[in-house]
Amino acid sequence: MASLLQPERVIYLVRGEKRIRAPLSQLYFCRYCSELRSLECVSHEVDSHYCPSCLENMPSAEAKLKKNRCANCFDCPCCMHTLSTRATNIPCPLPDDPTKTAMKKAYYLACGFCRWTSRDVGMADKSVASGGWQEPENPHTQRINKLIEYYQQLAHREKQERDRKKLARRRQCMPLAFSQHTIHVVEKYGLGTRLQRQRPGAPISTLAGLSLKEGEDQKEITIEPAQALDEVEPLPEDCYTRPISLPEVTTLRQRLLQPDFQPAGATQLHPRHKHLLMKRSLRCRKCEHNLSKPEFNPTSIKFKIQLVAVSYIPEVRIMSIPNLRYMKESQVLLTLTNPVENITHVTLAACDEGDPDDINSTAKIIVPSKELVLAGKDAAAEYDELAEPQDFQDDPDVVAFRKSNKIGFFIKVIPQREEDADVIVSLKIRHDFRNLAAPIRQNEEGGDNTAEAIWLTHHVELRLGPLAA
Amino acid sequence: MTDPNFAAGAVVCVESEIRGDVTIGPRTVVHPKARIIAEAGPIVIGEGNLIEEQALIINSYPENITPESELEPKTMTIGINNVFEVGCVSQALKIGDNNVIESKADVGRNVILTSGCIIGAFCQVNTCEVIPENTVIYGSGCMRRVQTERPQPQTLQLDFLMKILPNYHHLKKTVKAGHAAS
Repeated sequence: MASLLQPERVIYLVRGEKRIRAPLSQLYFCRYCSELRSLECVSHEVDSHYCPSCLENMPSAEAKLKKNRCANCFDCPCCMHTLSTRATNIPCPLPDDPTKTAMKKAYYLACGFCRWTSRDVGMADKSVASGGWQEPENPHTQRINKLIEYYQQLAHREKQERDRKKLARRRQCMPLAFSQHTIHVVEKYGLGTRLQRQRPGAPISTLAGLSLKEGEDQKEITIEPAQALDEVEPLPEDCYTRPISLPEVTTLRQRLLQPDFQPAGATQLHPRHKHLLMKRSLRCRKCEHNLSKPEFNPTSIKFKIQLVAVSYIPEVRIMSIPNLRYMKESQVLLTLTNPVENITHVTLAACDEGDPDDINSTAKIIVPSKELVLAGKDAAAEYDELAEPQDFQDDPDVVAFRKSNKIGFFIKVIPQREEDADVIVSLKIRHDFRNLAAPIRQNEEGGDNTAEAIWLTHHVELRLGPLAA
Repeated sequence: MTDPNFAAGAVVCVESEIRGDVTIGPRTVVHPKARIIAEAGPIVIGEGNLIEEQALIINSYPENITPESELEPKTMTIGINNVFEVGCVSQALKIGDNNVIESKADVGRNVILTSGCIIGAFCQVNTCEVIPENTVIYGSGCMRRVQTERPQPQTLQLDFLMKILPNYHHLKKTVKAGHAAS
């Protein structure tokens, strides 16, 4: 059954800052710390920006200038799809001879999904295929820019005063400590603390617009306070009596996607440039090694560094579940897959009574006590006819089948609760892991070349489904 | 069972299934594996329509009425220049002109399509209403909006198909009243 292979059925526990339970396919493995990491225990960094429809790369500075939007592609304001440019032929009089008409191409934007066109909002057809479309200007842009400048200057001035105070107080200043403190406190109007965290000692240059030196008098920017008006525009007379025509009113989602204007009528919905997406790289917070680093090219989905958990940790999957009955012992068939190329030894253990990790299980479990041996993953095995099949002495009570690097084994489950909820069991998997990242130490005899094996233990929870009626 | 009656200019492939009293106008193209079934009454299809593969146009009895009871046959009329895309199901009794029923859409019996309507892909419309002109129904929640211009008739596609289809498929011949279907 395909539902047994759903990723949410088998969950691994990550012991990081928070205890996170997630399927193995969503976890990363730091092979320097030899621990599982989830998305919440790594730091995310922006690698590059790209447009999802034209796949154009953009450096971060340019992206920030264009407000993280692509220059060529548009989004339909009605259904948020990508707009495509269509051409029609319209007759237009020749400049030389007004009596003759020639066919000229006119371009308009159209959505293939909801059939919105740029003619719906009254935008005239353009004569160039791309680059002719303008977004409407926000009437408040000037005021907003002025306010931003004023507050950036204020923040800078406050930071300078704080630095001066700190210098005066302590003779031996530690530039690392106080600059980090001022970063966290003062840069409330800057880009945020993430960028500064990477470079603890570097000078703060986020306020790129201002280039001020110490002691130089900067131009004072003053702003007028906003004025409150006494008179407000009255509502139209027929506000309560006029019947609403639903196709003309914008939905909340359409309205809030354009926070500058928030048009209430569908005839004012103008298309906006498409948002850029970003590629991110992940970094382990403890050892600062990269766990995931994608390729720079937006068309490539490969990774330069890809330390995902599925390629290091043996994966447990549920193969078949019999009818589970309350307080009756049933046999469940599980499979274990070995992702690495050398032989792995796996020992299973049931959770102890007072285990703090074991909060969800609703059934008792009896696991095989013997050690299971998994063959290494051999990519060329199917083509190699002369290879002898390795002979593992398998106990038929424990091991159901063995196929290259996969093994099927039985566990016994005794549901302990009679509720309607799913039966959840948890067990501990202990396997040996050879760390190929660490330098191999040569023995003095010059014999042993294999890396040292360390034993890792993982807590796994299986969701077996409801009790049979 | 009366025989189907195709006008001279219609292109109806042999692999399509046409049952009952069906009249098809000129310049209409019926692809192979399309099904037009007139169970509870005749179907009249205008000209310039495009009925693609696995489309199902069916004039069937409403579900809660058994075929044995007395029911006067209602004619299903389909106008001109409509497009029934692949896999759609149409049971609407009255369809106007220039409509597009996209792939895997499902139009119920009590819906009346006027002109220029577009029923989006996989949208199921089984309300009891008249869809106003130039309405577009799209999305998983069957959202609606009104478009300013009606969809263009697929003249280019129809001309192309009328040239190419006879090269690869046998066509059903026009049947005169009184003769057996060929």
